[in-house]
Amino acid sequence: MKITFVLNGQEMQIDAPPDRKVVDLLREDLGLTGTKEGCGAGECGACTILVDGESRLSCLMLAVQLEGRRIKTIEGLSDAENGALHPVQEAFIEYGAVQCGFCTPGMVLSAVHLLEKNPHPTRDKIRQGLGGNLCRCTGYVKIVDAVEAAARKVERDIPKPVKDGAL
Amino acid sequence: MRNVLLPRSLSELWDHLRAGSGAAVYAGGTDLLVKMRGGLVIPSLLICLERIEELKGVSEDLGAIRIGAGTTHAELLAHPVIRAHLPVLASALGTLGSPPIRNMGTIGGNICTASPAGDTLPPLHVLNAEVELLTKSGVRRMSVKDFITGPGKTCLQEEEILSAVWIGKPEGHNVHHFEKVGQRNALACAIASFAALLRISAEGIVEKASMAWGSVAPTILTCPEAEKTLVGERISLKRLREAAAIVRNTVRPISDVRADADYRRNVSGNLLLRLMEVQTPDDCARLNQLPA
Amino acid sequence: MSFKREILEVGYSVPRFDARAKVTGEEKYAIDHYPENLVWAGVKRGGIAHGLIKGIDASAAEALPGVLAVLTRKDVPGTNRQGIVHKDQPVLAGEKVRHRGDPVTLVLAENREILREALRLIHVDIEPLPAVFNPEEALKLEAPQVHEKGNILLRANVQSGRGGEALDECDVVVEETFEVPFQEHAFIETENGVAWQEPDGKIVMIVSSQAPFRDRFEIGHALGIDSGSIRVISPYLGGGFGGKDGATVQCLLALAAQHAGGRPVKMWWEREESFVAGYKRHGVRMAYKMGAMADGALNALHCRLYYDTGAYAHLGGEVMALGMEHAGGPYRIPNTLIEGWCVYTNNPISGAMRGFGVCQVSFAFERMMDLLAARLGMDPLELRIRNALRRGDKNCAGVVQVHSTGIVQCLETMRRHPLWLERESWKLAASSFKRRGVGIAAVFNAMGYGRGLPDSAIAKVELTQEGKFRVYSGVSDMGQGNASAFFQMAGEILCQDASRMELVQPDTERTHPSGSSSAGRTTYTYGNALIKACEALKEKLLHRAALLLMADEERGMALLPGEVHHLPSGRKVALEVLGRVFPESDRISISQFIMPVTQDKLDTGKEFALGFPHAFFSYAAHLAYVEVDELTGKVDVKDYLAVTEGGRVINPQCFEQQVHGGVAQGIGYALTEQVILERGEIMNPCFTNYILPTALDVPDITSLAVETVEHTGPFGMKGIGEVGFNAPLPAIAGAIEDATGIRLTQAPLSADRVLKFQGESDNAAER
Repeated sequence: MKITFVLNGQEMQIDAPPDRKVVDLLREDLGLTGTKEGCGAGECGACTILVDGESRLSCLMLAVQLEGRRIKTIEGLSDAENGALHPVQEAFIEYGAVQCGFCTPGMVLSAVHLLEKNPHPTRDKIRQGLGGNLCRCTGYVKIVDAVEAAARKVERDIPKPVKDGAL
Repeated sequence: MRNVLLPRSLSELWDHLRAGSGAAVYAGGTDLLVKMRGGLVIPSLLICLERIEELKGVSEDLGAIRIGAGTTHAELLAHPVIRAHLPVLASALGTLGSPPIRNMGTIGGNICTASPAGDTLPPLHVLNAEVELLTKSGVRRMSVKDFITGPGKTCLQEEEILSAVWIGKPEGHNVHHFEKVGQRNALACAIASFAALLRISAEGIVEKASMAWGSVAPTILTCPEAEKTLVGERISLKRLREAAAIVRNTVRPISDVRADADYRRNVSGNLLLRLMEVQTPDDCARLNQLPA
Repeated sequence: MSFKREILEVGYSVPRFDARAKVTGEEKYAIDHYPENLVWAGVKRGGIAHGLIKGIDASAAEALPGVLAVLTRKDVPGTNRQGIVHKDQPVLAGEKVRHRGDPVTLVLAENREILREALRLIHVDIEPLPAVFNPEEALKLEAPQVHEKGNILLRANVQSGRGGEALDECDVVVEETFEVPFQEHAFIETENGVAWQEPDGKIVMIVSSQAPFRDRFEIGHALGIDSGSIRVISPYLGGGFGGKDGATVQCLLALAAQHAGGRPVKMWWEREESFVAGYKRHGVRMAYKMGAMADGALNALHCRLYYDTGAYAHLGGEVMALGMEHAGGPYRIPNTLIEGWCVYTNNPISGAMRGFGVCQVSFAFERMMDLLAARLGMDPLELRIRNALRRGDKNCAGVVQVHSTGIVQCLETMRRHPLWLERESWKLAASSFKRRGVGIAAVFNAMGYGRGLPDSAIAKVELTQEGKFRVYSGVSDMGQGNASAFFQMAGEILCQDASRMELVQPDTERTHPSGSSSAGRTTYTYGNALIKACEALKEKLLHRAALLLMADEERGMALLPGEVHHLPSGRKVALEVLGRVFPESDRISISQFIMPVTQDKLDTGKEFALGFPHAFFSYAAHLAYVEVDELTGKVDVKDYLAVTEGGRVINPQCFEQQVHGGVAQGIGYALTEQVILERGEIMNPCFTNYILPTALDVPDITSLAVETVEHTGPFGMKGIGEVGFNAPLPAIAGAIEDATGIRLTQAPLSADRVLKFQGESDNAAER
């Protein structure tokens, strides 16, 4: 069936089976592999995308539900014209919040949504906001650091030696 | 391939919702699509309710609050009316799933899924909530207690949907308490849950108590005998322990992959003791911190 | 890519260069490859824990439109056996199934829907055999035999001094039995790959793998093909933790590629299949007896360890060997008898997982230290410091600690830290129905393969025609950041900034065999090879530049960002020029390194063909602040300190990343993770019921590094990927006991176990 929606700022009209899972449609049909699948059952958050600005799980969305929506995937987060990264993306890099990186796209989008609703979250609120995104590598601490920093819009400078790295 | 319909209005819905069509209805999909993945449900047609505006929104009418069944958990959690008047429900919503699940899942879905562990259900019980059931030709109402008849079983008829939840504003309760026990602090299925509405006088006497437990019986459990034990006295560990013992004798928990029956039985009583901490509305607010 | 222009220097928290592509979603993992004209491959699994295959009815599947092939054992050329050390695992089971996930039929189909339907239509007729599900049962004479040669994969002893006899002379002896369950790696990117066969017969595979070079040999042996005709490409992994060490999809995928008429084949184990078929951490039962003298000196250890290795060997023997080598903890114990049984059962396959045999015994030996401290009336931290290994001591396996040994420094650092000093006042501040406790653990973990197998790497660096330095990594990066470490080391030596560096991930056709990404070895071993290669390349470039600049000697030449200077004359030549003037063979440098091994001649552990003993260890001391809810039994970790010694720190941020990640996985292992098995069936093969920690379950973690110098290590470092995992379980168990008096000896330390024991102790103490 024909489905019309806006994807990362661009009008799209596609033809897809109505029951095609959105995560499959994005990855296989549209080649946007930034959105990942980790469990297929809504329990890991790797498939998180933004739908009309809200975080949703694309493994639990069917193609027909895209109709008329504004969809943002991780590919659409940085500036399309100059490639400038979103402050959350920059902070993830600077604060060491990326290890294997597989949870990262979903985690970043959840963080973006969190900051849009709550621009000055405490660390506890950040953890709550990211509660639906599992990470197996980082232990979350640096992710929380990064989101806190993105919220503060810390000026990025030349990396300095980390003060607590060594005695 | 199966067809998935996306009606934009109730009248469009009635065109599609025909008995015997093998259709499954969903709004957020956080329960149905997972069941389909597991092969537990194989509908021949899917109908998604997410675009039907008539099913959404919160309105106040004199002493009653009407919640559209298609309202998401996130919308309710953020809603000033829910936060102000139904904090016990807001508390439960804050523990439900995770932020994206709350953005997708709806209160109507939580009720119709009728899991014994459904997070909104114990609060809806203590709030004496009613469900509004709609067909093309008419509407009926019944209490949530009567609507849910067993694990995954409701009184929903063919060609009928749950359209709204009606809740009378709780009169003069000043303690609204909810606690969910899970294996972790997010994305947790309730192993046991407890909702309580109390009215405590200025002198500290319990004048009214309404309590409900989740995940410890095939449906939400209430225990009038335990409530009676508390009424007319100050809250005390002694009375709470007495009530807890009664509750432990009343629950009918199962053992499953998450917990065994003994644990559930034990905890269902223990959760009452937490009321020692919520003897004032300030205590309540502090203990039941709501997420954004 | 726009990197800040700063020189890559070792010792600084340079942001990982791989982070940018991951944060934009551009980075392609193996799972992100969907070649044109794809065929999907999937496997029908036996579903029965132990049985004889009587027949396979695939007629309905074969007849389904869109099914290209249905393959069974008879379609497997070669030995049909895969495995890392012991090749006892069938690619497709022919006669027998030994666990519920054993693959029986391989199907190729046009798309996933048809594949799913075809698999559903296949009926495998299996005659069940009696089965066995725990090691002690499996050791009995009358037990069902999982393999023809019997149920013992490995039986070994490690002894030193007078062994268990010395317990009699101890002033204090404590005894306890501990049990830990199977654990799931739960990487977010599950097992997967794509492969195709080229016209000349070569098989090309892009796969999520920790060992691309070894994969070729496993595939070759299993399918009877020349391993030189297999090319394996290993992109960044979305997590590995040991579960992608050893063929997962590889042999099946290669077989499928041979039957796809040249079309690319994709195999992807979705989450449920990953649970059923993927490798697990060994469940272990440990019976411990430890004795000390009145002054606190540890004197004797006797323990019996039973490792459940499941249906096939994988690295079971090596896992147990490493556990046995660590069974006495990072302490001086002059008399040890460590007995080990690594036993086959009809449970899922146990293999490699971060903490590899060691995290299990760490639970035991650290809790035993707490028990001893209590019996001796000694402070548990002081008891540990008193007995902790120092350079020159012998460890519990009898190996002299020649290399850097920093456990004492870790413990002393903890002793000075506010979290240790303020623990009592923190505990007293517990609110209603909460009890607070603090627990500590001292742990260690060997690095590298140990004796019997060369722990080797080959590094290649090239000056490209564009004037950039390209590092050809031979070891997979599964998130630990070794690629970034190589970037940083090469940049340090070659004096370049990030914009001048490139790195190629492992590809058996472009990079060189460098062993598996495991055992905390990759930065150490490949890093050492890389240093040599970079230094040789630098020397070469200085000479070539001297030629171009007509300098009469190489002295005075300096390699600087983007160019080579002749300092006396001020003349320079750009790297791009050097890159274009000289032929490729003159712009590369290849060098190798093998990790040194112990020189001790031990009269024990003779049963271990390889992997024993080890020469290098990293150390850590952890402290956990824990709150137990009296009403629910739920345990929350409120604060955490990890002090880690891994030689010198190459990149403090990456060091911390590894520590945090190990602690978080360790918290899962401690509190909620267990593969629930009932007669070999996994009852929780999904994330709903296999409980991983979320952001709300892991506290802020304070990570401190104690720096020693590991003289043999690249820039003085050692690998710390695993040690951090070993401490949370014992530290948290100790904290729970401190808070409630409850001693849990079975992991996970779940709420229901806490509440049950609390109830029992309440009943016992009833007024």
